[in-house]
Amino acid sequence: MRTVWLASYPKSGNTWFRMLLANLSAQNGTPADINDLPERDGIASARAPFDYLTLIDSGLLSHDEIDTLRPRVYEALARPGAAADAGSRVRFAKVHDAYLHTPKGEPLLAGRKGGDGAIVIVRDPRDVASSLAHHWKVSTGDAIAFMAKQDAALCARPGRLDNQFRQKLRGWSDHIGGWLDQTDIPVHLVRYEDMLTGTEAVLREALVFAQRDASAEQIAGAVALASFPRLQAQERAKGFREGPRPYPDGRFFRRGEAGAWRDELTAEEVARIERDHAPMMRRLGYELAVPARLACAG
Amino acid sequence: MHLYSVSGLAVASELALPGLTALTADRAPPDVVIRSGAVPESLTAPGASGPTWQIAGPQFLLRIPDVARFLLIDGREIVHESEPGGDPADIPVFLLGTAFGILLHQRGQIVLHASAVRVGDKAILFCGPSGAGKSTLAAALLKRGCPLVTDDVCAISIAANGVPMVHPDGRQLKLWAQAIGRLDLAASRGERVRTRLEKFYVEPDRAHAGALPLGAVYGLREARPPWSAGIASPNTVDAALLLRRNAYRPQLVERMDQKAGYFHAATTIANAAGIFHLTRRLDFADMPLVIGWLERHWQDIGLLEKAA
Repeated sequence: MRTVWLASYPKSGNTWFRMLLANLSAQNGTPADINDLPERDGIASARAPFDYLTLIDSGLLSHDEIDTLRPRVYEALARPGAAADAGSRVRFAKVHDAYLHTPKGEPLLAGRKGGDGAIVIVRDPRDVASSLAHHWKVSTGDAIAFMAKQDAALCARPGRLDNQFRQKLRGWSDHIGGWLDQTDIPVHLVRYEDMLTGTEAVLREALVFAQRDASAEQIAGAVALASFPRLQAQERAKGFREGPRPYPDGRFFRRGEAGAWRDELTAEEVARIERDHAPMMRRLGYELAVPARLACAG
Repeated sequence: MHLYSVSGLAVASELALPGLTALTADRAPPDVVIRSGAVPESLTAPGASGPTWQIAGPQFLLRIPDVARFLLIDGREIVHESEPGGDPADIPVFLLGTAFGILLHQRGQIVLHASAVRVGDKAILFCGPSGAGKSTLAAALLKRGCPLVTDDVCAISIAANGVPMVHPDGRQLKLWAQAIGRLDLAASRGERVRTRLEKFYVEPDRAHAGALPLGAVYGLREARPPWSAGIASPNTVDAALLLRRNAYRPQLVERMDQKAGYFHAATTIANAAGIFHLTRRLDFADMPLVIGWLERHWQDIGLLEKAA
């Protein structure tokens, strides 16, 4: 069994990618149930597998103590025969954590022992900001500030227990830079925008990287079954368990577009994102709307 | 030596374990002895192991890194040793929860990851993984006048007449600061569970001592599609799965070959009491609503008299 991480900053297309993978094994044209994906508990920050494997109540551990033990859990999950889906050849596991090291200096995700590679999914940060603001019901300004924060983290509040572990994200640029530049495991970069324009080709290349066999028919079938309108229709009909709370007001599958920021962000907001993230945006091929000179002066 | 009743067992401990029901008369010999001592880093030729534990015959080694190691011998003895830099004040919470829970598995006992309150003359159990809201729901019911039976670890035995029995031991509730605030329990807030956590002991103002027949088991779930809010009765197969998945440490049920015992217990509990799903939003504002469902359900299944 191989383990491949699906690594992304939040709201960058990770869930859509998982929907595509789930639909590779769809039978007779019936789409995979968005609320019953085979790997739905597979996010690296899930509490349940940690407690199951360590026998320790993670609710009695500090965030740092949990991080120290997390590599042991990923090693155990990646070992052949350890996971519930040991029968399939490739196990995909979602992760939002930045590529960081534990307080003891080990890679949090256990390097080679925890995974054989990572598919890193990125999206234009201007669309990420807009999508984050909707998902968390915060202002776009707050979302933009969060994306620039070096100590940004999910599920990090003290005095309560979240169903996921603290996930240190760093800022958007460093999150992606950390994943792309680590040298522990091979990476394959996927841009959300390319998923939109050439879904089949992007999926095919990612599967080659992951060494997951799939026929051209299976890939075409998955693309059709996990199209945005069909995912939206499923969410409308029965809700989505991973969607924003409270149900059923929140919508997870919202627009599924590239460039929606043009009518959702103000010029100042665009300028601020570009000021914060220009080098990484250029590296990923996201064209700046504000000329660099002006962005610096602002 | 201190002598306590823990999950129906007589336990002699060198370490004082605050909150537990003390046994007055010496019973010799005790069922379980807890002492400090040298605990090895690893066992020789373990038959099974995980990231933090090893099993070799009657010995079970558990390591909480940088806190303590526990050696459990044959379900009769727990030896504990602090890890270098570990705070000895952290030992009791891991001793009474994780280590004692594993010891109950080692003894082949049915032990659930559950908190419980008394309703009428029966014990009502709420099970679920960490963060499912077991202690919070028990605390809210305690405020409604239901005495606390246990928190987090719940041992069940089947009496000779076939009635499933629950054994309380005077454990205090453990609640996060947020829950204490939202449930208005600041007045009964005790010590921190660990110095580094915003989680506190809460002394119940009423607790039940002595074995109680089991009235109902509820598996707690968050209302997320495809699960809708409410109380539901799973079919026999799902009820058996619910019980096994909510064993204190479900992995040990498999590793210790105890599936048959849990299946049998599920059948007995389903017949004598009832096994249900309680699905609700994880929102403190919904607590009165959820308690309303439960009270109506207890009338329906005959645990409470129906209001005239």
